[in-house]
Amino acid sequence: MNGRVARIELRRSVAPWAGALVPVFALALLYLIPGPWAWDTVRWTEQWTSLAMWTRSLLVFLWPLVLGLGALQGLRDHRSAMGELLTSTPRPAWHRAATLAGTIALTLVAGFALLLVVGGAQVLAGGAYQHLGWLPISLVAALALIAAAVLGMGLGRTLPSPLTPPALTVAAFVFTNLLRTAEGPAIPSPAAPNRLVLLSPAVSQVREVLLTLSAPVHLGQTLWLLGLAATGFALLAAATRRGRLLAVAPVLAGSVLALLVLPSDPRRTYVVDTAAAAMVCEGRVCVTKLHEARLHDLAGPGEKALRLLHGALGARAPVEIRESTGLRDLLDTPERSRTAVLVDFGDGAIGKAKGEELTRALLGQGLAPACAPRSEREGGSMSDIVAQDIAAAWVLGDLKPLPGTAQDPDRQTARALPVWKRFRALPPAEQRARIDAVHEAALACGDSGALDQLPGGASR
Amino acid sequence: MRWLTLYSRSRQMPASFAATVIAAVGMWALGRGGGGSGAASASGSGPGDPQFAALALTAGVAAASVGLGGQDLALDRTAAIRWVPRRAAHVLLAAAVVAAVALAVRTLGDEMAGTEFIVRDSAGLMGLAALGAAACGGAYAWTLPVLWTAVGLFVPPPTNTPTRVAAWLLLPPGTPTATWTALTLTATGTAAYALAGPRGRHVA
Repeated sequence: MNGRVARIELRRSVAPWAGALVPVFALALLYLIPGPWAWDTVRWTEQWTSLAMWTRSLLVFLWPLVLGLGALQGLRDHRSAMGELLTSTPRPAWHRAATLAGTIALTLVAGFALLLVVGGAQVLAGGAYQHLGWLPISLVAALALIAAAVLGMGLGRTLPSPLTPPALTVAAFVFTNLLRTAEGPAIPSPAAPNRLVLLSPAVSQVREVLLTLSAPVHLGQTLWLLGLAATGFALLAAATRRGRLLAVAPVLAGSVLALLVLPSDPRRTYVVDTAAAAMVCEGRVCVTKLHEARLHDLAGPGEKALRLLHGALGARAPVEIRESTGLRDLLDTPERSRTAVLVDFGDGAIGKAKGEELTRALLGQGLAPACAPRSEREGGSMSDIVAQDIAAAWVLGDLKPLPGTAQDPDRQTARALPVWKRFRALPPAEQRARIDAVHEAALACGDSGALDQLPGGASR
Repeated sequence: MRWLTLYSRSRQMPASFAATVIAAVGMWALGRGGGGSGAASASGSGPGDPQFAALALTAGVAAASVGLGGQDLALDRTAAIRWVPRRAAHVLLAAAVVAAVALAVRTLGDEMAGTEFIVRDSAGLMGLAALGAAACGGAYAWTLPVLWTAVGLFVPPPTNTPTRVAAWLLLPPGTPTATWTALTLTATGTAAYALAGPRGRHVA
């Protein structure tokens, strides 16, 4: 009997629509609109955590939408005007509510899982860091969708007006959108109180791939969402005014418990995944566990670059190549080191290069580490990359621009060539002294830039 | 006159109007109080932050869209009146009312958005709602404008034509892509709804 009712609900309720809309809209956005989710190192199909965080960040609009669809479903009893008939049956009201809530939960979970399967297949194919730490992020997302649908159904049944679904959706959307967390700072920081922001199931967009959510966040959000779902279900099943009043209790309890558990500090919300940030080395070249797949391609050119650097700088040369793991604000100066060449795969000059080109980029980065950050979001500066071009050319003997960044290679050459010609005309000892000055200036990132240390470099 | 009164009551217009006013005043208050408390919106925070105006207009259109479906479609169709001009007038008037409410709220102080912005967005969004009503029925009409607004607020600042179309709602007034998108939506939405009417849907 129950199975038959469930099958009918599956066909005739809003459940199939809700289950289909979630993956269809998410995939349409992720594939059709170019955005940060399609950029190399933070791409949504690059790492498991990125997949979980990007799909979760889509809840900014999926969550209100599901709430509204739930409310549309909740209006059904009122529309069909059969409340009186139903009270005459001996079957308890919560049986009907459970069948309906169960089917919509099933289709929503299936829809969201489909989204994860589409992304996960690409993550698996791409040689990402394999772990299960991302699962809680997605489980909370699925729970959020179920809670939204059930709460929407309960509220729709309690306030049976055609205005309820759009009003709920817009109100929820204003809530999730105003409480969005800006991803610009090193740790994504909200403008509103952190605990309040965490009541919104959406998370910040991905910029630092090493960040994940901490355990208290999962726990607090689960409590809050369970409270929401319980209230929704109680409203859906309630037959009396007293029942409706009592239905408010779970959400109050859930929110109090959640506020006790949720961290008040953004730094305890978004935390570095230490297992993913651990270093894996091949010789003197080290990358994070997260980017282990890139280690093999980096090791050969890296070792060669380190040898050349030792020949050029002597005892002051960096002795290792290490992936930079420091979190930084958008446009902030990257981490510096005297003993290591710090690489960031978000920098197209290094991340997209292979073989000889990579050796050249690593030489440039070792001799004149860039002061202005380069990533998919940050363009870097022309003088930084020209200084790297010339420093690498000094070791390798020929001038070639570094491709892969926002700085056009032809314009790099046009800017570098006059400086390079004057530099080449200097006696070898003077060249060496100039390169030392470039190295020091680049490490200091002071007022006088690396390129200013070269003849004719300060002209612009 | 009597027809108009009955029609507007059957289409929940008083309630929709109240919801539109509440939404506009609410967003105005939020935009004034917490100007830019929202995260990276398309053009940052400031007095001219378009996200609050866009949200207010979306809420108004969503409320108005409820009236695009009738109480009983089969009964409506039996009426010996010319529905096509009436339906077209309904859509355009609804857009005008939503815009007028936003313009009126603006006189409270603190410029929410320019007149052209408000007119363009309310017309385009209402066209979208009419399209939704023609395609899925009056009760579902709000999904299209709300989703498009949501996507517009989610995507990064647009750089090329497809992304400009996606984020047309938030672009500054006078951007050709945004104006054309709004015009197309208004025209197709109004035409589709006027000719086809709200889609009938059996009560599940």
